[in-house]
This record gives sequence, C-alpha cells and structure tokens, in this order.
Amino acid sequence: MEFFIAQVLNGLSLGSIYVLLVTGFNLMLLVAKIIQFAYPQFVVISMYATWAVLRATNNVILAILVTIVVSIALNLLSEPIFRRITSIKGTDINATFVASIGLSMVLVEIMSHSFNQGFPISFSDSWVGGSVFRYGIINISRSSIFAWVGGIIVVVAFFYLLYRTMVGRSFRAIAENLYVAKLFGIPIFKTSMMSYLIAGLLGGFIALLLSMLIGTASPWLGESVALKVLAVSIVAGLGNLKGGLFVGLALGVVESFAIGYVAGSWSNVIAFVIMLIVILTKPKGLFGAAVE
Amino acid sequence: MSSTLMYFLGFSMIYILMAWSIYLPYRVKHLHFLTVATMAVTSYMGGILAVNFGWSFVPTLLLSIVIGALISYLISHTIGNAPTFTVVIVGITFVFIIKTVIENTDYLGGTIGLFGIPMLDHPLIFLLVFLLVVGYFLYRIEHSRIGRAASVIFTDEDLAKSMGIKPKQIGMLFQTISGGIAGSAGVFYAFFVGSLFPDFFTFHLIGTLMTILFIGGYTTMWGVIPAALILRGIPMILPSSIASWRLLIYGVLLVAIIAIKPKGLITKNMLWKLLKKR
Amino acid sequence: MNNNETTFLNMNNVNVFYDSIQALKNVSLEVAKGEFVVLIGANGAGKSTLLKSILNIQAPKGSINFKGKELTKLNTDKIVANGISIIPEGHLIFNSMSVLENLQLGAYHGKKNEQSIENILEYFPILRERKEQTAGTLSGGEQQMLSIGRGLLSDPELILVDEPSLGLAPKIVNDIFNILVKLNNIGYTILLSEQNAKKSLEIADRAYVLETGNIVMEGKADDLLNNEEIKDAYFGGNI
Ligand SMILES: Nc1ncnc2c1ncn2[C@@H]1O[C@H](COP(=O)(O)OP(=O)(O)OP(=O)(O)O)[C@@H](O)[C@H]1O
Ligand SMILES: [Mg+2]
Repeated sequence: MEFFIAQVLNGLSLGSIYVLLVTGFNLMLLVAKIIQFAYPQFVVISMYATWAVLRATNNVILAILVTIVVSIALNLLSEPIFRRITSIKGTDINATFVASIGLSMVLVEIMSHSFNQGFPISFSDSWVGGSVFRYGIINISRSSIFAWVGGIIVVVAFFYLLYRTMVGRSFRAIAENLYVAKLFGIPIFKTSMMSYLIAGLLGGFIALLLSMLIGTASPWLGESVALKVLAVSIVAGLGNLKGGLFVGLALGVVESFAIGYVAGSWSNVIAFVIMLIVILTKPKGLFGAAVE
Repeated sequence: MSSTLMYFLGFSMIYILMAWSIYLPYRVKHLHFLTVATMAVTSYMGGILAVNFGWSFVPTLLLSIVIGALISYLISHTIGNAPTFTVVIVGITFVFIIKTVIENTDYLGGTIGLFGIPMLDHPLIFLLVFLLVVGYFLYRIEHSRIGRAASVIFTDEDLAKSMGIKPKQIGMLFQTISGGIAGSAGVFYAFFVGSLFPDFFTFHLIGTLMTILFIGGYTTMWGVIPAALILRGIPMILPSSIASWRLLIYGVLLVAIIAIKPKGLITKNMLWKLLKKR
Repeated sequence: MNNNETTFLNMNNVNVFYDSIQALKNVSLEVAKGEFVVLIGANGAGKSTLLKSILNIQAPKGSINFKGKELTKLNTDKIVANGISIIPEGHLIFNSMSVLENLQLGAYHGKKNEQSIENILEYFPILRERKEQTAGTLSGGEQQMLSIGRGLLSDPELILVDEPSLGLAPKIVNDIFNILVKLNNIGYTILLSEQNAKKSLEIADRAYVLETGNIVMEGKADDLLNNEEIKDAYFGGNI
C-alpha cells in the first residue's frame, strides 16, 4: 500500500509537468494552428538558462526571471518563422511540423556542441531541495510539492483565462473557427501572438519545475519529451485541452509505476507501449480530436 | 575506387532507398517513420542470420523485404488512413521501442553494438541494380491509376472519396511497399557497414531522411536522388570541425526549405517543363 | 451625392479575384450615412464577394474609402474597429459556445459592458431566454437573430447584411426585415445583399444590381421596383 501511494505521488508530480507541456503545445496547435514539436526543446534550453544563471550568480530570483524571459523570447522569436510558413498558399499544418523538427534538430545540436561540452548538466542540491515529509517509503520532496501546487495553480489560472477573459474567449473562438473569428473582428495576429506569449510563460514555469523535479538536463531530453507530448496530445485527441489534463497525469503515473516495478531503461518503454496500443486502437484519441 | 568514394556512393544509395520508403506513403500525407524501426529490425535480423546462422546475402535480403512489408502491412490495418500525426507518432514510438529493446538485449550486442557481419564483395553493384529495380517499380506506380488516385487524396481526401477512391486501401498499399523497401535497406546497410549500433536508428536518422525528402521535394520520386547525394556528400568534403555540425545544417536547411520553397528544390512541374522543352 | 459631406462608404473601381477567376469587375458604389442600400443579383453574381471585399476578407484591388479612411490596406479586425460589421451569409456563429459568449465576442471592439449586451437581449427577447444555450443548437431563425445581435455589439455605423432571408420561413424573413428597417430608423447605415429583390426594394432607399461581377444598374429603390427589366429578371418567383 505504501509503495502504491509513493508511486502515485511521484507519478502525479511528473504528470503535472506533462499536463503543462501538453497544454502549451495544444494552445499553439489551436490558436496559432501549428504543430510545435520544438516546444519541449525551448523548455530544455530554458533549463540550461536556469543552470547557467545559478552557476554564475547563485541568485535564485535572477535565475527564475531569466528562465521565464528566455522561454518567452524563444517562443516569440519562432513566431515569424511559423507565420511565414502558414501564410504560404497550399501548405498545411504538416509543414509546421516538419519545420519544427528542423528547429528541434538545430537546438539539440547547439546544446550538445555549446553547453558543458555536450555533457548532461545537473542542478545543485539547494535548487532541487530535499525531502519535507517522510513516512516509511513515502517520501515527499519539496520539488514534488512545487510540481503539484504549481501544476494546479497554472492549470486553474489557464482555464480561468480561457473561459472568463476576452483573450481566452478569443483563443477558443479561433480554435473553433478561424474564419468566423475573422468575421467577428477578432484580431487574429494579435491573439496568435498572445498564444505564443502564454505558451512561453508556461514553458518558463515548466523549465523551473522540471529542473527541480529531475535535477538534470541533457541536449537529448527534449526529443523524448517532445515525443511524449505529441503522443499525449494524440492519445487524448489532438488539441483536446481537457483530455490532455487527464492523459498527461495518467502518463506520469504509468511511468512512475513502470520505474517502480521494471528495471532500468525498460521502464521507459512501458509508457510508450501503452500509448502505442491506445493510439493503434483509437487513432483519433480517447476524448476526440479538436482539430483534424 | 577510393574507399571514401565507395562509402559515399554506398551510403547515398541506402539513403535513397530509405528516402523512397518515406516518399511513397507521403504521397498520401503519411510520414511513415515506422520504416526507420523496420530498417533497424531487418538490419539486426540480417546481421544475426549472417553471423550466427551463416545465411548469405540474397536470401537474407529477400526475407527482409517480406518481413519489412509484413510489419508495415499489419500496422497499416489501423493507420492505413489515420491522420498524419497519428502515423508519425506510431512510427517514432516504434523507433524508440525497438532502440530500447536492442540496447537491452545482449544477444544483439546491446549498446556495444553487433560486429562481424560479412561485408559484400561488390556492394555498389548490388545496390545499384536493386535501386534500379525499386526505382522502376515506383515509376510504374507513379504513372498508374493508383499514383493519380494518390495525388487526389493528397490534395483533397473528401473529393477522392466522392470519386470512389479508397484512401485506406491506397494508404495500406503504400505503407506496405514502403515497409518492404525499408526492410531491404536494413539488410543492405548491415552488409555494407559490417557493424550495427542502436544509436544509428534514432531521431538523427529520421531528421536526415526528412531533410533529404523535403529538400529534394516530395512531389516527384526523383528529388531525393540529388538531395541524398548532396546532403551525404557535403559533410564528407568539409573539414571535420564543421562536419560535426552536420545535423544543425540539416535542421537549418529543413526550416529554410519549408519557409521558402515548401515543395522542395525539384518538383513535378519543373520536370514537366524540362521534358517539354526538349 | 459626390460631395464630401454625404460620402460615407465609397468603393472606386474595385476588382476582386479568386486565384484566376475575377468575381468583381470595376465595381464602384457609394453609401451615404443613414442610407439603406440594397444589392441585388442572382446566385454567383458577386454580392457576398463585394461585402467581403469591404472588410478585406477577400482582398480587393482598387480603393475602398470609409469616412475618409482607406480600407484596402487594413486588416479585417481594424475595419471592424472602425465601425463596420458584417452579418454573414448562413448565420456564422461559434456553434460550440453559448449565446452569451457569442455576444461577448461580438463586443470585442465595442463597449465591453454588461449594459450593451443587456440592450441586445432587450431587443431580441428570444436570445435572453436562451442566453446559456449552446449556439449551435439554436434554430436557424434564432441563429440569425444572434448573428445580428452580435453584429451590433461592435458599435458599427455601417452594417453589411448578407442574404439574411436564406433558408428561413416567410414569417421569420418578415421579422428580420422589420428589424433591419428599425435599425436603419435609429441611425444605422445598412448595405443589404439579397436575392429577394422585390421585398428588399420595398424597404430600401437605393439599390445596385450586380450581374456576373459588374454593376449593371443603380438607382432609387422605388424606380427599380417599377422597372420592367428588373421585374422580368428578378421578381419571377418572389411575388
Ligand atoms: N472562395 C472562393 N473561391 C473561388 N471562387 C469563389 C469563391 N467564393 C466565391 N467564388 C466565386 O465568385 C463568384 C461570386 O460569388 P459570390 O459568393 O460573391 O456570389 P453571390 O452573389 O453572393 O451568390 P449567392 O447569392 O449564391 O450567395 C462566383 O462565381 C463564385 O463561384
Ligand atoms: Mg452570397
């Protein structure tokens, strides 16, 4: 029983991260109409920024600020590329996916050539934080609490934005029907920029939470995370925000149990096999796709 | 022939095979990366059959084509007309799973690699002949009713359905053929290089193949040929300090081509015009 | 008509292309402030295209001037913010959102206060009853009311209405035409596109007749109402 609880708690903290990632990914899919496969790479670069600032100054506040600024900047800077691609006649969303894979390759190469000689980086113990509660094998770390609380706050804030503010309503309007949104006079460009901005802000939070939770990062972290994020979005139904919450958490818990029961690197495969089975049996997702 | 040139030509031809295996299903908008997993499977299968069971090249090649086609055929029952990204994620997930399986299986050499596969005496001749056969086969498909049906599906699936075209059938057919081509590429690779590492069959390979396909152009089967030659060739003539940034260059090229000339450098229309002029 | 005081909306030699097909050919049209102008023409004549070109939804070549501002270089949202709104053909609304949310989105450029939405609900009592209902589940007539209601919320001076009678029962069509007349009476300028020539000429001040992208006739609505050519070509089934 204790073991079970311990795995669920661990899984939920990892799951919160997936939830936030897939939410940012889906937001850009719905509003900017792109498949941003490089979004998790931006998160990893932001983690590198956290690490660099902490190493240089040991100033936590500065590290947090820089992380968020870097994440927002990366997302905003990618906007003209994607806008250019989506504005070409006869191209579809596949083109944005292909380009974001290219972007992802570029970022991985930059990280593996330029930072820490390509070796994985690790965050200091004071950043990662220790255990705050222990009962038998149930061990609650500070970073887990951050992940849970941060995850809940951000998700609640995001859905408040989505359903109670003009920006959020415009997001949903563009997601439902770009043409009708245009007829209503909703500013498409400005709203799309807002989605990049919010995805960037979200990415900054994710970078902070993830660096505390797993305590390391490597140039190749983004690739496997991107794969999981795309898989979660598809399992839930591409662009289905609410479905993403559920599947993101579920993935965290499944992975956590896999790590608990299965040795070493095999554990990583379990979650993929399960997702693969779901996708093969329900190619359009569990909760229905919001986009085609 | 210098060994550099031999490696260059051999690798290029293997990449052309793989690029074709991705090109064909993309005719109906499927980015079928399952082929990369398939290549990993058949190259290791070929390696084991050759090293441990003494199989020679030709039967191994034939078996690998069957196995490769079979894998894709079985999976195509569910993703034969799935949305693009479902096909993508199924493929990449398989790549990831196969890689982990290889890494954790001592019999396959694990992370250390599988060595001692007997190399072909005349790999380039074998490859060239095979490439011509595959090329002719693809050419016939392109210029058949099926090829034209695929073009309709690519531009408008609903229109295709209203014309009585069955997208799923064509998707399944293309995925199956593509699996067979990838299966052969795996065995050629194993018998050309002589040693196998799980690290080869990863995102790098997917990224490289995508770059070849999209730079060359996905509207005609001929685009990937110069693209493979040039993209494989350039890193070989650059000093190694720059060549190590190969993937970065590919990434930049991939973004640039999509943003500037999304149909790639060589397009069907362009070839038509060239033909007409003569 | 051409002096600056009365010039409100002014289209001058406007051409619109869909790829290689030309849907509007050298169209010039004027609407004065407070006028009710109707655009009549058969299917495919280019009525919708003309309205869309004013909002730059379909890019126009030529000049379109509204209150002294050139519209052709502005994005749709800026044009809406400048005081033009469109009630599109086929009552296009956000089907998955509630009636209230549709109205709130309609007010993107308007006064975003409770009162203006309250006024609309006052005007369209059916909408008040169905405030929380999902818009996609409204009847066709109710959707058209919602479409008009939200079109008013961006505080327009000029309202472009595209075939509001399409697919609706005669009773509802009458209701909607009455609403348009009332709106015109309280000061809104209206440019209406209609196939129902007779009915619309009866309520309009002035009219333009479009044929395959060309304006072939224009004049006072009363004059056109008695014009034999018009009678023959457009009144056939509608009397
Ligand atoms: N998106 C489009 N792409 C290509 N051609 C179009 C498009 N929209 C309209 N057209 C063409 O432009 C011409 C004018 O169309 P438009 O919709 O403006 O006509 P309309 O007068 O509004 O007709 P209706 O009374 O049927 O609504 C038609 O020939 C139509 O086929
Ligand atoms: Mg129309």
